[in-house]
Amino acid sequence: MKTISMQKNILLFGFLLIPVLLLLMFVLYPLIELVRISFTDWNGMAAQQVYIGFDNYIKMFTDSSDVWLSLRNNGIYFIFHLIMIPLELAIAVLLDSKIRASKFFKSIIFMPYIINGVAISYIFAFFYSPINGGLNGILEALGLESLIQNWLTNDSIVNISLVFVSIWRFSGFHVILFLAGLQSIPQDQFESAKIDGANSIQNFWYIIVPGIKKVLEVILFLNIVGALQVFDIPYIMTQGGPGHASSTFTLYTLETAFKFNSFGMASAMGITMLILIIILNGVQNRLFNLKGVGEE
Amino acid sequence: MTTNRLANPIKKFALYLILLMICMIIFIPLLITLFASFKTSMQIGSEFALKLPESFNFNNYKVVLEKGKFLQGLGNSLFLIAVSVIINSLLGTMTAYAINRFDFRLKKIILGLFLAGMIMPGMITEISRFTIIKNLGLYNSIWAPIVIYAATNLVQLYIYTQFINGIPKELDESAMLDGSSYFKVFTKMIFPLLLPATATLAIIKAVDVMNDMYIPYLYMPSSTLRTLTTTLMYFSSSKFGSWDYLSAAIILVMLPTLVIYLIFSKYIFKGIVAGAVKG
Repeated sequence: MKTISMQKNILLFGFLLIPVLLLLMFVLYPLIELVRISFTDWNGMAAQQVYIGFDNYIKMFTDSSDVWLSLRNNGIYFIFHLIMIPLELAIAVLLDSKIRASKFFKSIIFMPYIINGVAISYIFAFFYSPINGGLNGILEALGLESLIQNWLTNDSIVNISLVFVSIWRFSGFHVILFLAGLQSIPQDQFESAKIDGANSIQNFWYIIVPGIKKVLEVILFLNIVGALQVFDIPYIMTQGGPGHASSTFTLYTLETAFKFNSFGMASAMGITMLILIIILNGVQNRLFNLKGVGEE
Repeated sequence: MTTNRLANPIKKFALYLILLMICMIIFIPLLITLFASFKTSMQIGSEFALKLPESFNFNNYKVVLEKGKFLQGLGNSLFLIAVSVIINSLLGTMTAYAINRFDFRLKKIILGLFLAGMIMPGMITEISRFTIIKNLGLYNSIWAPIVIYAATNLVQLYIYTQFINGIPKELDESAMLDGSSYFKVFTKMIFPLLLPATATLAIIKAVDVMNDMYIPYLYMPSSTLRTLTTTLMYFSSSKFGSWDYLSAAIILVMLPTLVIYLIFSKYIFKGIVAGAVKG
């Protein structure tokens, strides 16, 4: 037996050494470093790092309107994606009904999620382009010239333009998740509901909604994390401009670090985001359970 | 399958109309770019964006391939994918085997580490990871992204766990009685039985690596190390970044993932849904 237990220890050591080392070096240590650097004035290069207590955090909350502007923009992504959720569920219900070519539609609807995000950003930069851009061309062809805009340079609509790209890219993914949830509902529930004379609205509230509760929670969580971390669409399409009008929290944080070399400040923002994610997710779970949408 | 009664032909018509409209919204921006990739700069400036190109003129693609170094980018991306996927699959299966088949003291802590990895906001981590990569001497080398991509994440571990739990423990034990070592049990039995899960996870990893922008952009600024995605970023700001050439470049960069998607869509659906819902 001794050899077996030794064999076990050797195997565990050999199999787990590299994965654990990678986690320690590239996950845990960076997390600790992020906290530490957030209390310094480090510029990313200097050998010297002066500890300045909560100065970065205080400065962030009192002296940096662009951070708040950026965070507000994240809020816009969050709200619009939230509004889309019922629509996404409706589309999933449509796809789940017995229609021809549902597989075909499913593949198409999911496709944007697979396409390269940078490519998507350029495609829409072209689409919105004020000179020979597709969108203005289509509006002109439809006789809607009055709606023609500078979609990416007008600071009152630039965020809406970018949010549309985000919806175009991620909604299909949500639809597919809802569809998976719907298909996990046992068929006999609908059959017994039919016998009991339930109508489709009752079906929806008493069978579908509880059946997809888990998926809905996942999508809401992904929405929080996703909206707080929006980066590549505004980074490629507008660089956060005009000014900081379409900046987002992640974009602004990374700019602070790698463009303005304020690693201390950027780390404080990073930690703030981590805390925000944890708090918002907690609040959402609370709300969700209060509403008591179905019991498991 | 939910059976909605679709006896009513008007209802049915409305349903297809909605789905077709969604498809149009998805396809219009893509088609505009595809058409533009066959047009000259003059045509793009004067024609309606959805007008079919007069001919399939591959001149833009030729210029892009000659000037844009997209083949080099593709090569780098494929290298990154191959190495990351191989290491990631090995580490993932090994970790899953060790964690699911054995009890040991540090198990909870290791799982906690994986959890920490999952809640860390992706790109923000690079602020402090940047220094580590630099100090390790990996900056501006193709190994910088690899050490990041290769690490197993919690979702992968979860999917492997589902599979391993489906393999009866008695199989391990009888193999052990026949004189196999734990290592042999893993290589001869567990690893092969996990291959379906590995295939799904590998395809998803490949798509992720192919589409990732920020890690290669941050850690590999050297012009010879550009991936397909970062090549597109540099190309757009070069003197060839006008819409005729850029459209062709966009289509070229989209193609590899679309091909992967068309061939493996079944695996991709399965893996992504399982990963999101269970993760």
